[in-house]
Amino acid sequence: MLAASSPARYTAAMQEITARVLFFGRLKDIVGVSEVACSVPEGAHIGQVFSQYVQRCPELAAYRKSVVASRNREFVSFETTVGAGDEIAFLPPVSGG
Amino acid sequence: MSHAQSHLDDHFALTRSQIHAEALIEKVRTAGDGAVVTFDGCVRNHSLGRRTLHLEYEGYEPMALEKMREIGEQLHKMFSIDRVAIVHRLGRLEIGETSVFIAVSAAHRAAAFDACRWAIDTLKRTVPIWKKEFFEDGAIWADGELPPVPGAASAVESAS
Repeated sequence: MLAASSPARYTAAMQEITARVLFFGRLKDIVGVSEVACSVPEGAHIGQVFSQYVQRCPELAAYRKSVVASRNREFVSFETTVGAGDEIAFLPPVSGG
Repeated sequence: MSHAQSHLDDHFALTRSQIHAEALIEKVRTAGDGAVVTFDGCVRNHSLGRRTLHLEYEGYEPMALEKMREIGEQLHKMFSIDRVAIVHRLGRLEIGETSVFIAVSAAHRAAAFDACRWAIDTLKRTVPIWKKEFFEDGAIWADGELPPVPGAASAVESAS
């Protein structure tokens, strides 16, 4: 009998997609890289991508409220779903000019 | 004469070398214009009471260029202008150098003034470019503005 943790069920529930994730400004300094490939479960939203990096770099948590996200170069909310091959960026408050 | 949506004579660029204001003014100035209004954003030698040594600008370059183009499109919708040029510099800038230059031409001055002001104010809120300030005792990323995000807005913004 297959147990609840059968490999087939696990795979179905954890279908993963890959997105490019970019960090800028002080976020790049904290994470240590400007661009990474990130795997997330299909249907994950951008907030979950950010959370992955908070786990690796806890210092990021303090910046959550002052970060905006973009998906394929358009500003979007953290609730936006990530698509395969998307270019997701985390942007600190902008200070050009 | 007028281009309905794509204003082919407008000019948007990011550059790592010196910005030439005169050349940009020439790009927007035509025989039909009565005014060219420009904004020259330059590197100040102090910030919040500290002496600034130099600055470094970093951009999310493809998105920054797209947002600059969107500003141009908006300008044509909102103001009776002829042409616009917006150039932002990236990399290391010394005190006194131009970091951003905007030139707007129009038949009449009021539209050019209003559009130029709107362009720089909007650029500072929506174009993904960041400034790092270098002081004698260290460097910091300058405080910036949070761009408006569709559908997210109010809950977060009311905190500031």
